[in-house]
Amino acid sequence: MDPFYAWIEHTALSIWIRESLSIFAFPGILTLHTLGLAFLAGTQVAIDLRILGVASLVPIAPLRRFFVVSWCAFWVSLVTGMLLVVAYPAKALTNPLFYVKLTLITLATWTAVRVGSALAVGAGEGDAGAASARRLAAASILLWTGAIVSGRLLAYTYTRLLSDL
Amino acid sequence: MLDSLQLWLEGSALSHFINWSSWVWPIGECLHFLGFTLLLGTVGLLDLRLLGMAKELPPGTFERLVRWGIAGFAVCLLSGVMFFVGIPGGYIDNPAFRLKLIFLALAGVNVLVFSRTVARGVEGLRPAETAPLAARWMAGISLLLWVAVLCAGRMIAFFKP
Repeated sequence: MDPFYAWIEHTALSIWIRESLSIFAFPGILTLHTLGLAFLAGTQVAIDLRILGVASLVPIAPLRRFFVVSWCAFWVSLVTGMLLVVAYPAKALTNPLFYVKLTLITLATWTAVRVGSALAVGAGEGDAGAASARRLAAASILLWTGAIVSGRLLAYTYTRLLSDL
Repeated sequence: MLDSLQLWLEGSALSHFINWSSWVWPIGECLHFLGFTLLLGTVGLLDLRLLGMAKELPPGTFERLVRWGIAGFAVCLLSGVMFFVGIPGGYIDNPAFRLKLIFLALAGVNVLVFSRTVARGVEGLRPAETAPLAARWMAGISLLLWVAVLCAGRMIAFFKP
């Protein structure tokens, strides 16, 4: 895999993100990545809390309108996340925790899709679908928590920074 | 004066505890991010509703949800104080940290003004009812300031002396 990492590291995009002194290069991309994940996980966890019974006077069905914010945040996180991997491919792809994070993000996103369709059919308002919606919401909170924790700990667990280091 | 504050903090028992194990700091960072996520998610949904999204939701019903956001903020405050006491030298002269404190103070003022002026009217809003203009402004300012707090906070690492 090392030649592959080296090839990515030598692309103009990778070099710019890594070496530019502009605040919009690495620091800006990392900040946008953080912002995206905070909005994505934040909106989803808030909706999950309501499904689990917090603020039970809030009507559940209209919450699906907030999903457009979650999905915008998802795409911001995804694109900036890919740019961060382009900047330091060896750092990310040789760290087992990176794959744990990707798995957690994938599962969490999948639960978000399922919660969204459960809200669209009106589940969660005390009918037969309510119990399964609550299980989804609980799983979603655990998965987003895991995604955030594993993401933050990437900075402490990598063993290689670049392909030749 | 800031120098003597830094020396005093660095000598404190709390500062020694934070630097005692290499795991205290990363765990604190995880809690800091999780707490902020809870704050941004809950307060963010209320702000978006006041700005006109999902207007079927009566804003007065959000109170219990926002309490979770306040709990998240408390987690951020505790972990944030821990970072500051742990390595005061990384923060006192850090322009990103100073900017973050300014944004935090403005966010606090915004919350105070909101609760003393439009909060009562917002609580009484019915489904599909538009929030008063002042409330919409404060909701937009709230969203912008919490985004600014996150951005300045994330930038602290790049401005450590």
